[in-house]
Amino acid sequence: MQTPYQSKGILKNKKLRKIDLKDLASTAAFLVAFLAIWEVIFLLGVFPVVSLPSPLMVGQSLLDLIQEGTLGYSIAVTMLRLFVGFLTAILIGVGVGLVMVKFTYFGKTMNSFAVGLQSFPSIAWVPFAILLIGLNDSGILFVVIMSSVFSIMISTYSGVRNIPPIYLRSATNMGAKGISLFRHVMLPAATPSLIIGIRQGWSFAWHALVGAEMLITTLVGLGYILAVGREFSNMSQIIAAMIVIFTIGLVFDRVVFTKIEEKVRDRWGLNQQSEP
Amino acid sequence: MILHAKNISREYKSSTSYTHRVFNGLNLEVKKGEFVTIIGKSGCGKSTLLNIIAGLDSAYSGEIIVDDNPHLKGPDRVLIFQENSLFPWLNVVQNIEFGLKQANIPKKLRNATAMNYLKMVGLSDFAHSNIHELSGGMRQRVSIARALSLDPRILLMDEPFAALDTSTRQSLQNELLRIQKQTRKTILFVTHNIEEAVLLGDRVVLLSNSTGQIKKEFVINSPRPRDINNRSLKEIVSEALDELRENHYPNTNQEYANTISI
Repeated sequence: MQTPYQSKGILKNKKLRKIDLKDLASTAAFLVAFLAIWEVIFLLGVFPVVSLPSPLMVGQSLLDLIQEGTLGYSIAVTMLRLFVGFLTAILIGVGVGLVMVKFTYFGKTMNSFAVGLQSFPSIAWVPFAILLIGLNDSGILFVVIMSSVFSIMISTYSGVRNIPPIYLRSATNMGAKGISLFRHVMLPAATPSLIIGIRQGWSFAWHALVGAEMLITTLVGLGYILAVGREFSNMSQIIAAMIVIFTIGLVFDRVVFTKIEEKVRDRWGLNQQSEP
Repeated sequence: MILHAKNISREYKSSTSYTHRVFNGLNLEVKKGEFVTIIGKSGCGKSTLLNIIAGLDSAYSGEIIVDDNPHLKGPDRVLIFQENSLFPWLNVVQNIEFGLKQANIPKKLRNATAMNYLKMVGLSDFAHSNIHELSGGMRQRVSIARALSLDPRILLMDEPFAALDTSTRQSLQNELLRIQKQTRKTILFVTHNIEEAVLLGDRVVLLSNSTGQIKKEFVINSPRPRDINNRSLKEIVSEALDELRENHYPNTNQEYANTISI
């Protein structure tokens, strides 16, 4: 069965695909221009070769890292750390956020505390983590969790508190209570706010992780490749690692979070300029 | 008697020491299958009364007796709100299934019931639409289907058509009458629109602002569909208007009285 709205949806998709192609072209043009300027600066010899290698040399470095197997392994370990840390942060953040909603005074106090800690520089946790936990994976996880947990906590707290009361009244009237009310009404109603917090938490976690990997050396990880590159004045390797870090961040933001957010916004009708 | 609101009183305490009393020993009886409309000025407690009957407001004294049972709980009295109360994270049919899901009704039966009531309000084609894709009138139809799917003893409606334009409102009024005829539901319908109250109700209950009780009741026997230009209906409308106009500023009078007593 085809409703007028479904056909409108198809139209919208086609339009989207066209814009995507244009986007792709302009991204490619941007990349080419960027590499060209880099190459020109290299050829002009503004910086010594040790300080600024050519794009080709960096490409070679990247290939070497891949062939050695260092890169794949480092990415795997870094991602594992990220997921473990980030998932723990989500569990703690959402959990504490809900407790904050339940107990008003604790919520108020904890909220100002969390706001303060949210803007606390993640790298500043490193010395604390080293002395408290040590130069190991747990120390890195600690920094990752502390960096991302507070924005998730705050968004849970404000997301649940800002649920329009009509949803809760209507659901209660239809017999929802307890866990079911939480699971089927409060959680989905707070989702748009939660996603923003989780996305922000993700980016904080990512920043913190690479920093922590550089300072808390555990002999493996993308941050460690950077640290080694600096140690041996290997600029090609540093830039290669930077490119990988940049790409991972971009992919997650564009592919994972943008998609999830789009889906939610579409369903809720938050993308529409005017109501039909 | 399907509903007996017995000796209901409800006070609102504001931050100042002033307490506002909306009801003072209000009594209301509704027969099974009756369509009762409630009118009154804003602030007279129309919505509060529905919330109390629906079980969403428990800070009252008195008794709500449904089917001779004073302790009946659960979604046997479903409230339809003026504003959109459909959940934007669910599509149309999932919204209707929500209450059934809370009652642990199996998935197949749930879906069949939902589709059945969606058909009754004429929106079968929109079962899988998102809520934001529906117009205001369509949303209220879905709300009605959602309420009916729970097979409530009493359908409570809190100014459900107040936010709609005139023609949509008229078609929804007719549809509600058709659905009531079909399902024989007991309906308690709050509105501030006197004509709407007279067009729809078997009985129109006029709430008073000042005494916190029922001021007057009009029993309307004329057959449906009704024409608001009908003479006897017009008389009822104007009589109800007169009743509402009286004592227009009860609070001012009260303040004046207080000043004198000091």
